[in-house]
Amino acid sequence: MSETPRFNRVLIANRGEIALRIQRACRQLGLETVAVYSEADADSRHVHEADVALCIGPAAAARSYLDPDGLLLAARLTGAQAIHPGYGFLSENADFADAVEEAGLTFIGPTGASIRMMGDKITAKRAMREAGVPCVPGSDGPLPAEMDAVKAIALDVGFPVIVKASGGGGGRGMRVVERVADLAQAVTLTAKEAEQAFGNPTLYLERFMQKPRHIEIQVLCDTHGTALWLGARDCSLQRRHQKVLEEASAPGIAPETIAEIGERCAEACRRIGYRGAGTFEFLYEDGVFAFIEMNTRVQVEHPITEETTGIDIVAGQLSIAQGERLGITQADIPLRGHAIECRLNAEDPFTFMPSPGIITRWDLPGGPGIRVDTHVVAGYTVQPYYDSLIGKIISYGATREQAIARMRVALAEMKVEGVSTNIALHQDLLADPAFARGGVDIHYLERWLAQRTAS
Amino acid sequence: MNNRSEQLVPHFDRLPEPEQIGQMATWLAQAGLESLELCNEAAGLKLRIRVGQATSAAASPHAPVAAQPDAGGGVVAVKTPYFGHLCLTHPQRDTAFAPLGAKVAQGDMVALVTLDSLQVPVSAPVAGTVAKVTGEAGALVGYGAVIMQIQPD
Repeated sequence: MSETPRFNRVLIANRGEIALRIQRACRQLGLETVAVYSEADADSRHVHEADVALCIGPAAAARSYLDPDGLLLAARLTGAQAIHPGYGFLSENADFADAVEEAGLTFIGPTGASIRMMGDKITAKRAMREAGVPCVPGSDGPLPAEMDAVKAIALDVGFPVIVKASGGGGGRGMRVVERVADLAQAVTLTAKEAEQAFGNPTLYLERFMQKPRHIEIQVLCDTHGTALWLGARDCSLQRRHQKVLEEASAPGIAPETIAEIGERCAEACRRIGYRGAGTFEFLYEDGVFAFIEMNTRVQVEHPITEETTGIDIVAGQLSIAQGERLGITQADIPLRGHAIECRLNAEDPFTFMPSPGIITRWDLPGGPGIRVDTHVVAGYTVQPYYDSLIGKIISYGATREQAIARMRVALAEMKVEGVSTNIALHQDLLADPAFARGGVDIHYLERWLAQRTAS
Repeated sequence: MNNRSEQLVPHFDRLPEPEQIGQMATWLAQAGLESLELCNEAAGLKLRIRVGQATSAAASPHAPVAAQPDAGGGVVAVKTPYFGHLCLTHPQRDTAFAPLGAKVAQGDMVALVTLDSLQVPVSAPVAGTVAKVTGEAGALVGYGAVIMQIQPD
């Protein structure tokens, strides 16, 4: 690198496993790290490993990880020249991204304008449709105030439809309507809820796909016009819209089909001038892809793509933010083998109630094709204030069967005491015949759990 | 410090209008900060705005950390209500706010945490005598850092 880097000290505005993941990438690139943390996270691994560590507030996220002013002040006090937001918290907050850049710092992520465009479902879908990314049939914009006009749109799209809040997300602010007779009431209720929850009553509607899979495309784009797609992930195993187990590639979908959709995603990125890492999420049913949303940040499940492509996505984010060229082309990206990620949560495997407490035993699995991304060590206290993710086991194999076999052994080796975990749930899922066949839909896990409770 | 505050507040060559001072006080209150001090030594001007956040501790986003008797010796820790550089003496004077052995009343300012031109007071959680000063002047301290111990009356 002949040019002077834009930054050599990065403030990590996050906690848990992703903070450690970002820190590792920074250190491997010779960048110093600043860990900002809440009082509850004082004993975290990345805090101990940081070049500078600063407690910025109490456990409540609103006064620590979600406090934009506090984070900017902390960056200035610690001499950080760049901020990596991780996932969750402020990672998809366009105003924060703008404020970081206005303060003369580098935001390791897309521009505020890109985040804003993708944060609004209606503008995002419009942009994607214009860029040739397939979308589910729908209202193509906000619903009109006239109920007769809404009915005409719904009949044109075809029932069942789903009414969604433009400002919603994560499974909130949406309602499925089976018949035209129920439409008016559903629209009124959802608008009211959207106004209360998101301060924005704007709605749109689209065809409700009955048994789709969740397929997503990872992209990585530099600021010199190179936009690459890094294969697909299948994240259909979800509970209450939270992903539980993910795999790459997507079982049973032809590589040529993925290549076509991947190229369209990359082209959309070139058109909108997207920079950094991002993910296009699709519903997939009967050979049809329908764009749902774009996540403008690194995702929890990024490691399975790293395993199947050999690309370090977080290091990529950092180099792109330095203004460097990716230096590879699409042809240089192999899609090899198969990877699976099991998210380990400190929660009851049956009731899913969070299980905070002190982890007294923490024996990690190992061997070929096994990777564990975690911030937890024996003696670590799982805090009740944040999400219950305590780590991720990632298995890689030349084939899906080998990845599954390696994951089975890894889960058997993983020993956790002191808190409850969902390891048993993952073991049951890996033993499930439908999972073994591959390609289950996004409702499969909920149905499976309901059956388990009933029997 | 002065250089930085000049960048933040470019034209402090005369006192602001009362409405402007009122607006600044509103901004301070909204930011959860307690005081602001502007100084232009060449023009002989100085302005200090304080807003009454410390008095309404429960409503303040930077309420002092609740007083908790320490396990050993019954001393009470003084913790910082925000992060920043620790200031144990008044910036314009040489005397420490609360040196070892000083008698303090509950709510007395015993130190300052400074962030550029902003200053956040650190208050005594109880009345008593300063038994130990652990904070290092000028050091970057985090939220909730223990900077001194008070032996309650």
